[in-house]
Amino acid sequence: MKELDLLKKDWKKNTASFEQVSENEIYKMIHKRSSSIVKWIFIISVIELGLGLVLGLMISFTKYDQKNIELIKSLGIYGYYIATSVFLYAVIFFFIYKFYSMYRKIAVDDSTKQLLSTILKTRTVVKQYIAFNLTSFAVLFIIFGGYMFYEGYIQGAAKNGAIHPEMPMNIALISMVVLILATAFLTCAFWLVYKLIYGILLKRLQNNYEELKKIDL
Amino acid sequence: MSENLEPSFVKQLQENQNIIHKICRLYTSGEDAHKDLFQEITIQLWKAFPKFRGESKFSTWAYRVALNTAITLYRKSKRSIATVEYEGRQHFTHDIEYNYEEEEQLKLMYKAVYQLNDIEKALVFMYLEDKDYTEISETLGISEVNARVKMNRIKGKLKKILNPLGV
Repeated sequence: MKELDLLKKDWKKNTASFEQVSENEIYKMIHKRSSSIVKWIFIISVIELGLGLVLGLMISFTKYDQKNIELIKSLGIYGYYIATSVFLYAVIFFFIYKFYSMYRKIAVDDSTKQLLSTILKTRTVVKQYIAFNLTSFAVLFIIFGGYMFYEGYIQGAAKNGAIHPEMPMNIALISMVVLILATAFLTCAFWLVYKLIYGILLKRLQNNYEELKKIDL
Repeated sequence: MSENLEPSFVKQLQENQNIIHKICRLYTSGEDAHKDLFQEITIQLWKAFPKFRGESKFSTWAYRVALNTAITLYRKSKRSIATVEYEGRQHFTHDIEYNYEEEEQLKLMYKAVYQLNDIEKALVFMYLEDKDYTEISETLGISEVNARVKMNRIKGKLKKILNPLGV
């Protein structure tokens, strides 16, 4: 392609025409802060990982939780409660560890494809973490919400003078379906917004990664 | 970061800075964006420098880090995406015998290269720098054969941009 050869000739001829940066300026530059996307990804990820942890800790220190514990104890499922909490925290710490070890693998002198893949995998860890949090939140919400509704209904019926208060099957079914649908809707809405933000942040990286993958197909 | 690495790094970077300038020229437009990317590449090179053990030449290593920064780490400001027009024309050096047709062709060619995506630009950049396909494939992380195939496709794409009707 003769145009490309022409370009090459010009490209080489023009090498000397750049305004040269002095050593002094380079010294100054290396003490400035990076504004790279990886730095942003790190900050955002730490906030996301931290949020789950802080939220969990905050809830367990509130009175609200104390009341719950009494309720849970009276129901005789305290053992399950502790086991679930331990499990949840173990999963959270597992994600934090996985994120950290992936993040350490990001090396700017890897090949471009490797670098892009590591960055995207690091974000995938955080994405999975958010998905896990959302799912466990949704499940707990449905179980807990369902239970509260049931208790409320029974107590209401008792107040109205029922001797053996029971929830009719149709009400139980309908309320369960409504609860599940509402939770699913909220969870999906949150997930969509999250994916959108996530998409904006990583669009360019993903495009370039796809492009490189396509070359090797 | 170890203090005694600084002088050696700054010296080598100063000597090899044209590599960075050329990448900035390809991936940004406008002076501000050029400076911005130059600074980010310098920072990334400095951060990675302790790991550089001199197994390859400083310039080879710098090519890779600089390209990676331009392709993956650099966040384009809106300003730099908005204008695609090549603004570096004032840097053109002219031969004594001024060739109007060639000048015109070059202008179109630069414009066409600007329309390529990040990865295609990287390939063109290394091609213009006379890098062999082994280095191109290692830098990008693709196979050598496919790097060749892709480069040929890019040539075709550039031809199409220059001559959309195929006349």
